[in-house]
Amino acid sequence: MNNRKLFIVLSLVPALLLVLVFTCYPFFKGIVMAFQEYKLFDLNNVPFVGFDNFKAAFDDPKFMHALTNSAYWVFVSLFFQFVIGFALALLLKKPFRGRGIYQGFVFYSWALSGFLIGMIWKWIFNSQMGPVNDILMRLGIIDERIGFLSDPKWAMVSVIVANVWYGIAFFAIMLLAALQSVPGELYEAADMDGAGTVRQLFSVTLPYIMPTVITTTLLRAIWIFNDPTIIYGMTNGGPAGSTHVLSSFMLDKIIYAGDYGAASAVGVIMIGILLLYTIFYLSVTRSEKVGDF
Amino acid sequence: MRRHGRKTVGLLLSGVMMLSVLAGCGGNNSTDGESANGGGKSDGETVKLRMVESLTSPKRTELLQKMIDQFETENPTIQVELISPPFDQADNKIRTMLAGKQDLDVMEVRDLNVAEFVNNKYTEPLDAYAAKWSDYATVTATAKSVGTVGENLYFMPSGLYLRQMFYRQDWLKEKGLEVPETWQELVDTAAALTDSSKNRYGFSFRGGPGSNGTTDTMILSYNGDNVNLDDSQFTKDGKTIYSTPEAKQAMELYMKLYKEASPPDSINWGFSEQVQAFTSGVTGILLQDPDVIQSLQQSMDEGTWATAPMPKGPNGKALMAAGASGWGIPSYSKHKEEAWKLIEFMSSPKQNTAFSKDYGLIPVHTAAAEDEFFKTGPYKTLLDMGNQPDVFVSYKPAFQYPGTGQWGQVSAESQQSFLLGKTSLDDLLKKWDEYWANEKTKMQK
Repeated sequence: MNNRKLFIVLSLVPALLLVLVFTCYPFFKGIVMAFQEYKLFDLNNVPFVGFDNFKAAFDDPKFMHALTNSAYWVFVSLFFQFVIGFALALLLKKPFRGRGIYQGFVFYSWALSGFLIGMIWKWIFNSQMGPVNDILMRLGIIDERIGFLSDPKWAMVSVIVANVWYGIAFFAIMLLAALQSVPGELYEAADMDGAGTVRQLFSVTLPYIMPTVITTTLLRAIWIFNDPTIIYGMTNGGPAGSTHVLSSFMLDKIIYAGDYGAASAVGVIMIGILLLYTIFYLSVTRSEKVGDF
Repeated sequence: MRRHGRKTVGLLLSGVMMLSVLAGCGGNNSTDGESANGGGKSDGETVKLRMVESLTSPKRTELLQKMIDQFETENPTIQVELISPPFDQADNKIRTMLAGKQDLDVMEVRDLNVAEFVNNKYTEPLDAYAAKWSDYATVTATAKSVGTVGENLYFMPSGLYLRQMFYRQDWLKEKGLEVPETWQELVDTAAALTDSSKNRYGFSFRGGPGSNGTTDTMILSYNGDNVNLDDSQFTKDGKTIYSTPEAKQAMELYMKLYKEASPPDSINWGFSEQVQAFTSGVTGILLQDPDVIQSLQQSMDEGTWATAPMPKGPNGKALMAAGASGWGIPSYSKHKEEAWKLIEFMSSPKQNTAFSKDYGLIPVHTAAAEDEFFKTGPYKTLLDMGNQPDVFVSYKPAFQYPGTGQWGQVSAESQQSFLLGKTSLDDLLKKWDEYWANEKTKMQK
C-alpha cells in the first residue's frame, strides 16, 4: 500500500514540477511585479510601491479607453465569428464534391500567426496601396479613399473585421465536429413529426450541441480578450491610442516603456476581469455538460 | 507478475522523467560551470566565443557570418557562434541573456539602449582595449561619440546611420520645381506635388512608430543655435526645446505637411509603408537612412530619384545626429581578450568599409571618405553634410534619460491626436514640455 502511494506521488512529480516552474512561478511573479516599480532601465532598484501601478492605470484615460474597446473587441468579434463559423459548419456538414479542399481553405486562417494576419490586413486596408480601397473605387462605391486604419471611426471596425476572419475557422472546426455527432435518427424523428429545417435547427441541432457552443464561446472569448497580436500587427493601438485593447495596452507598456510593473498591474486587472466573466458566464448558462466536446 | 512488472516500469519512467526535468532546470548552472573551466584553460586551446546580433536581417546575418569565417581562418584557436534572434525580439532576447548571465562574449549594443546597459552594469568599458588598437586613431569623432556614455566607450559602432532626403527627380522636373532646402520649401514643394485624385502625394509621411524622427528633427532645427547640443532636449538656458515659440512654428508647419502634402492614411504609417509608398510612386519625398538606398536602387528606375541634404530651419541650420549600433562586451564575459580581437577585426578599415558598402552605412573610419564609392551617387550627400558642420550641426541625442525608451511612443500617440484635431497645439507642446522637464528632475535627483 505504501509502495502504491509512493508510486502515485512519484508519478505526479514531473507534472507538478512542470506546472510549478512554467505556470505557477510566472503567475505569482507577475502578481508581485504589479506592486513593484519594475523598469528595465534600472533593474538593480525595484522597490515595492503598493497600489501605485493600479492607481496609475485607472487614472490613465488610455487605459479606460482600452477597457471599453476590449468589450467591443470581444463581443462583436465573438458574435460574428460564431454566426459565420456556425453557418460554415452547417454548409460543410453535407458531403459535396471538393469538400476536403474547401474545408482546407476554411480552416487555413486558423493556422496563421495573429501577428502575420495583422500585417496582411494592414496592407489590405492601406488606403493608398491596399486592395479594399482600390476595389471600392473601381466599383464606384466610394469617390474618396477611406483611411480604414488612420480614421479613428474606422480603425476599430477594421481590426475587428480582421479578427472575425481569423476566428471563423475555430468555430467552423469545433462546431462541425459537434454537428457530426448528432445522431441521424433525431432528424428522422423530427421529420416524421413534421418539423421543418428551421425548426430542426433550433429544436434538435442547437440543443444537442449546446455544451460545445458554451465551451467554445467561453474559450474563444478568453482568447480574444488576451490576444494582442492582430492589433499589434495592424495598428499598434493607433491612431492616437484609439484601437488599444487591454492586452495590446499591456504589451505597449512592456515593449515601449520597459515598465514591467505597470504592465503586470494591467495583467492582474485582466485576470480579475476574466475570472468574474467566467463565473458569470458559467452560472448563467448553467449547463452540466460543459467541457464535453 | 505482469502487474508488478508494469508498476516497476512506471516507477522507472517517472523517475527518468523527473530527472530530466531537474536536469533541464539546472541546465544554466552546469553550462556556467563548464565555461568557467574552459575560461581558465584557454591558453593554447580553442576558445569558443558567443556573439549575438540585434538588427537581424537575412542579408546582414550573411555579411556578418562572412566576416566571422574570415576571422576564424586567421585565428584558428578562436571559434565564433553567431546568434541571430529575429529583429523584433532581439533586444529583449539580449536583455534576457544579460540578466540571466548566459554565456555571451560579443553583443550588439544600440545607441537607444546603451545607457540602459551601462546603468545595469551589463557592459564592459572598451577604452583600455581601444588604446592598444592601432586603427583606433582613424575612427571618426562621430563614431566615438555615439559609442560613448559619460567618459567611457561602451560599444564600437559598426557603421553610422544618417538621415537624408530622397526625392523624385522626374516629378520635380515635370512641375518645374527646385529641390527644397528648408523645411518651409519642403512643405511648399510637397504640397505642389500633391494630387490626391491621381493618388499622388508630395511627402512620405510617417505618423506611426518613429514619427518623432520628423517632429523632433523639425523642432530641433527650428530652435537652431539655441539648442544645447550635448543635452539636446533642452535649450541653452535649460528649458525644453518644446517650450519655445520656434517649436510652435515647427509644429504648425508639421500640421500643414500632413494636411496638404501627405496621404491621409500615413498618420499610422511606419518604416515599411513609408518606404513602400516612395518606391511604388505614391509619394515624392522621403527622409530616410542610407540603409534604404539598396531597396530604392532595386525597385526604382535610375534617374527617377536623387538625394539631397536634410532641410534646414528658418535660421539656415539643420540639426542632425548620427545613429549607430555596434559591438560591445558583456561585463561578465570570460573571454574578453578574444572578444575584443573579434571586434577589432570587424572594425578594421578594410572589413568595416566592405560591410558598410554591402549593407548601406557610413563607415566609421575617416579614410573611407576617400573611397570613390562614397564620393559619388546616393552616398555623396551624406559626406557633403558631414563636410559642413556649421550648417549641418551635430547634436548628441538624449539617450541617457530613462524616458527615452518610451518617448517614441508618447510622442507618436500625442502627435496623432494633434493631427486628428483631438489635441490643440498648445496642449501638445505642453505635454511634451512636461515630459522632458520631468525627466530632467528625475535625472537630477
